[in-house]
Amino acid sequence: MGGSVSKIMGKIFGTKEMRILMLGLDAAGKTTILYKLKLTNQDVTTIPTVGFNVESVTYKNVKFNVWDVGGQDKIRPLWRHYYSGTQGLIFVVDSSDTQRMDEARSELHKIINDREMKDALLLVFANKQDIQGHLSPEEVTNALQLTKLKDKLWYVAPSVATEGTGIFEGLAWLSNNVKTPPQK
Amino acid sequence: MAARDRFGAYADPSLSLLQRAIRNACDPQNYEPNLALNLEVADLINTKKGNAPREAAIEIVHFINARNQNISILALALLDICVKNCGYPFHLQISTKEFLNELVRRFPERPPIRPSRVQHRILESIEEWRQTICQTSRYKEDLGFIRDMHRLLLYKGYSFPEVRHEDAAVLNPSDNLRSAEEMEEEDREAQSAKLQELIRRGTPADLQEANRLMKVMAGYDNRHKTDYRAKAAEEVAKVQQKAKILEEMLQSQKPGDKLEDGDVFEELAGALRSAHPKIQKMCEEESDDPEAVHKLLEINDSIHRTIERYKLMKKGDFDGATRIPKGTLGTTTGVSKNANNELSLIDFDPEPSSNGNSNEGAAAPAVSSLENDLLGLSFQDRVPAPSGGISLGMGASQVTEPISFTPSVQQTPAAFRSSYDALASLNPSRPTSKPSTPVPSLFQQQQQQQQPATATPPPPTDPFAALVSASPRVASPFTPSVSQSPRPGAVSTSLLDLGGLLDSAPAPAAQPAAAPVTTTVEDDEWSFASSLPEASALPRQNKMQVLNSSLRIDFAVRRPPNAPNGRQIHIVAIFSNTTSQALSELHFQVAVEKAYSLQLRPQSGRDIAPLQQNGVQQEMLLDGIDSGKGNSVKIRFRVSYKIDGQIKEEQGMVPALGIQ
Repeated sequence: MGGSVSKIMGKIFGTKEMRILMLGLDAAGKTTILYKLKLTNQDVTTIPTVGFNVESVTYKNVKFNVWDVGGQDKIRPLWRHYYSGTQGLIFVVDSSDTQRMDEARSELHKIINDREMKDALLLVFANKQDIQGHLSPEEVTNALQLTKLKDKLWYVAPSVATEGTGIFEGLAWLSNNVKTPPQK
Repeated sequence: MAARDRFGAYADPSLSLLQRAIRNACDPQNYEPNLALNLEVADLINTKKGNAPREAAIEIVHFINARNQNISILALALLDICVKNCGYPFHLQISTKEFLNELVRRFPERPPIRPSRVQHRILESIEEWRQTICQTSRYKEDLGFIRDMHRLLLYKGYSFPEVRHEDAAVLNPSDNLRSAEEMEEEDREAQSAKLQELIRRGTPADLQEANRLMKVMAGYDNRHKTDYRAKAAEEVAKVQQKAKILEEMLQSQKPGDKLEDGDVFEELAGALRSAHPKIQKMCEEESDDPEAVHKLLEINDSIHRTIERYKLMKKGDFDGATRIPKGTLGTTTGVSKNANNELSLIDFDPEPSSNGNSNEGAAAPAVSSLENDLLGLSFQDRVPAPSGGISLGMGASQVTEPISFTPSVQQTPAAFRSSYDALASLNPSRPTSKPSTPVPSLFQQQQQQQQPATATPPPPTDPFAALVSASPRVASPFTPSVSQSPRPGAVSTSLLDLGGLLDSAPAPAAQPAAAPVTTTVEDDEWSFASSLPEASALPRQNKMQVLNSSLRIDFAVRRPPNAPNGRQIHIVAIFSNTTSQALSELHFQVAVEKAYSLQLRPQSGRDIAPLQQNGVQQEMLLDGIDSGKGNSVKIRFRVSYKIDGQIKEEQGMVPALGIQ
């Protein structure tokens, strides 16, 4: 009972909290997105993440705890440790890296097929839209075979992480679609 | 959670498989703990991993706090099963503050005069954990809260029941032999569980630790990387040691002595018996490394014999026991010998004490002469560069390294230690002289700890190479009925096989695995070869190839006809460049047994032009080899050179000289 009261209160007074996991191939722009969210108006330069970064970002009364885990192939087997309790998955794709779209697709499907990720929302950032020869969000959708997914809420948002365009739109989608917090 | 006590028919779809299984196991319809259901839960935890241990721990502790005592007891039984079967990931969960606080939630502030059944069982569990996993687990530092809880309860006045040690013993890490892969797997699992837990806790300190752990797991941080094969080799060495002890104890038994039950004999035999299948499994795992397999098989063999002897002795069949060939690896006939004599292959004493190998009369001389051959290796080094000159100076940093490729020399824990120390003290460059082979001696282990992963060991430094300690001398008392047919080029003296061996190892640097294998194989035959043909069958001079890679080395060997005592051998090493790149900074080193003396003339140069034949020469004079023994001289070499901007190093054994 007590829990549900506080849930309702939370809805009314807007103390929603969301655990977000941000994954994607290496050099897709995950860390740049994370720090662009955190430090909105600053330039961000990053180095390849070995390990992970975590930041809390409050946007539209929702507190997002964003976990950004390195994307190098050596680290990918460790992604699964971050799954539990995740409400939203942000999968970042380098739209200009058409060569590795297949790799990105297989990694993405591996993640969302995990039992612990079955309730998580899926937000795909089609990143690096400013680079020549990039794929459009629709093309990314096809390349990742998102239409095949069943029972999954997903959304592909175009973004340019270095300029910060598109990333808050993505967060807005997440906060609008999040259901109840998973706390039991 | 209000429905906690309501069970049965309606399977709540929101429950996970694991939760349902736990519910079933704790269902009060079970009058007593249902082992099958409990084990099912344990299996689920083990297969799902990830968050499963935590989920299970939380669920179980809820049932432990159920109002119905029967449910509590069932849940406690389930907890016990999980703790004993799910390993570290579950231990980590029961040692969280959350779990422990929840576990004792229903304990009153003051201990009751007589604790309830549930309380008694909980206290027993905590005591059991404290005495086992908190002390013996390899990761006991992660389980500190159990001890804290124990202390807290003690402080509050609770007294803990006695724990039956047999029941708890299963929680201790088994001292069974584990292979490299198993150990690696275990560590990886523990790391995974820890990472998961750290991420879940999410405090800044935990996250920092998680980041650090990730680097280790992803392989970016290799500083603390363990060489699992080396560890496995160490474990095998321990088993071998046990076999040796048992063998010696059995041999000191006299007819009429009776082996008591439950004594140290039985313990040792039990340990050996359990190691037996493990070694076979390791053989399969190591199948890509014939050398390791061979050694493992040999160890397996010797263990088997020891066990057989034990069985017969136990039955009182003393005669039967003595019929089994004596000797295990690392010891000769089991007659007590000092460590030096058993294990030292490098020894500065050129005259080894005679080998009390009376049981194998024919083999005995061979054994000791092989010892002779291997005793007291020293490396001499002369290059035109001013640095060379004194052999000992080079010693401290280099004596240890050549050891890595020679199976016979590298397994020298005891005496090697002393010689190493002696050399090291002469030379300040000690830190560079890391024994690159994990020989199972305390000293070298320490060395390794001091310098974890200084460099990736070169291929020949195989941890398993260290396993058959002293086997080249004693090897297996069984003569394998393998071919003893003479090899072309080698004449069958008692050292024939050795000659064959050397022949078959022309370029040890190029094929690191091949050479040591042949060594051990041949050694078995070697001890038993007996016919001694005429020495004069051998020519007075010979020419052979020593190395054939980018650098080619040929030896022209001859007995100088006019030598004063006829005990000299004259060798000319001829260096040729087989590549189309210039070769420079040639540095050739040679070592012979201490019993002989070696004189080196300076190299004629250090550079060889592309494809130049016979670019550099070096003369050597070996003294102290009686006529007829020429084929038994063993020479090792090391050569380093620079080609195409890269420094290359090669080393190996010079094939049999093939002369008188």
